[in-house]
Amino acid sequence: MDASAAKLLGAGLAMGLGAIGPGVGLGILIGKALEGIARQPEVSGDIRTNMFIGIGVTEAVALYAFVVALILVFVA
Amino acid sequence: MEPARSQHEHELRRVTAGEDEVVETLAKRRRLAGLPVWLWGVLGLLVLVGLFSIPGGAKQELEIAAEFDLQPLVSLPTIGPFDLSITKAVAYLWIATAVIVVVAIVIARNIKPQPSRFQYTMEALYELAYDGITASVMKSGVSTWFPYVGAAFFFILVNNLIGLIPLPFGEHHQLSFYAATANLNVTITLALFTFLFTHYAGMKKNGPVTYFRNWMPKGAPPVLREFIFVIHIVSEVFRLISLSVRLFANMVAGHAILAVFFAMALIFQSYLAAVVLDGASVLIYLFEIFVAVIQAFIFAILSAVYIGGALDQEH
Repeated sequence: MDASAAKLLGAGLAMGLGAIGPGVGLGILIGKALEGIARQPEVSGDIRTNMFIGIGVTEAVALYAFVVALILVFVA
Repeated sequence: MEPARSQHEHELRRVTAGEDEVVETLAKRRRLAGLPVWLWGVLGLLVLVGLFSIPGGAKQELEIAAEFDLQPLVSLPTIGPFDLSITKAVAYLWIATAVIVVVAIVIARNIKPQPSRFQYTMEALYELAYDGITASVMKSGVSTWFPYVGAAFFFILVNNLIGLIPLPFGEHHQLSFYAATANLNVTITLALFTFLFTHYAGMKKNGPVTYFRNWMPKGAPPVLREFIFVIHIVSEVFRLISLSVRLFANMVAGHAILAVFFAMALIFQSYLAAVVLDGASVLIYLFEIFVAVIQAFIFAILSAVYIGGALDQEH
């Protein structure tokens, strides 16, 4: 296989596989937050704030994969 | 008995009349501007097929990565390791700073008890930064650290939003999209501020020795304590990385997706792709506005969480 082809393949795989985990995680996270809000609407503000913190931390994992893909395509 | 019955009948009549109306509107809805709806569908399909069959415009070379290239706008000498040339990232930072300063001065000069819409928006944003971000996660030191957290919030917010306005900083002064926060240098600097302020705040409040000793849990056995201390140091460094890379990668990914969607018609050379994807790019653009606000929010609230955690240590 050509080296540049391997690079592109690796970048695609890195982004695609790296998005699986955060996708599942975000689904669980937001689903649970909505469950919590539905059970106790009076604390929805707190739950939402903490949900956004969690989203930020979880989503960063997918973005590491994105950065790796960028490095593979443009730098490596 | 009699009046009640008549009332019942009256209601019954009203209900049936309502049903007639519903049936009538349904019949009306099946026709749009005099033509049946299915005919409109067929016409739309024909238009799409027509667009698909017409060959597109000239092929254009497209380099999406070029959007993130930094060419110096004004060349200045290099002093030591620092290249002082003014690139578009610097220009964007200046524009963002100017926007914030001007808006803040304008707002502060005419504060009225009866707020205008503009003043009300700014007050709501300020309240979000103070109550929603800083006060909601910090147990103490809110008024001390709000200036930093609020400034970070507004600075990143304005920078992200300016990135969604085409400005003439592209090649040959073409209009182009760029955001200063889509540059790792900018976001690492911002994250470094949070990093430094976190440890400064912790050391100032708890004393340097107590601050670092608190990184080791008191009840843990001897070897485990040192191990946890090392893990804590690693996690502090990773906070710095994740804080900066999150903002950077979000803005880069957003701009790259926008560029891809805008340019897809040129790549495919098809009017069909142009219509469909440029329609979709409007939705992507709206989503990017949401991302811009959310990323500013997350950066500010994580800064507040880190600083608050250093002030009120748990162990």
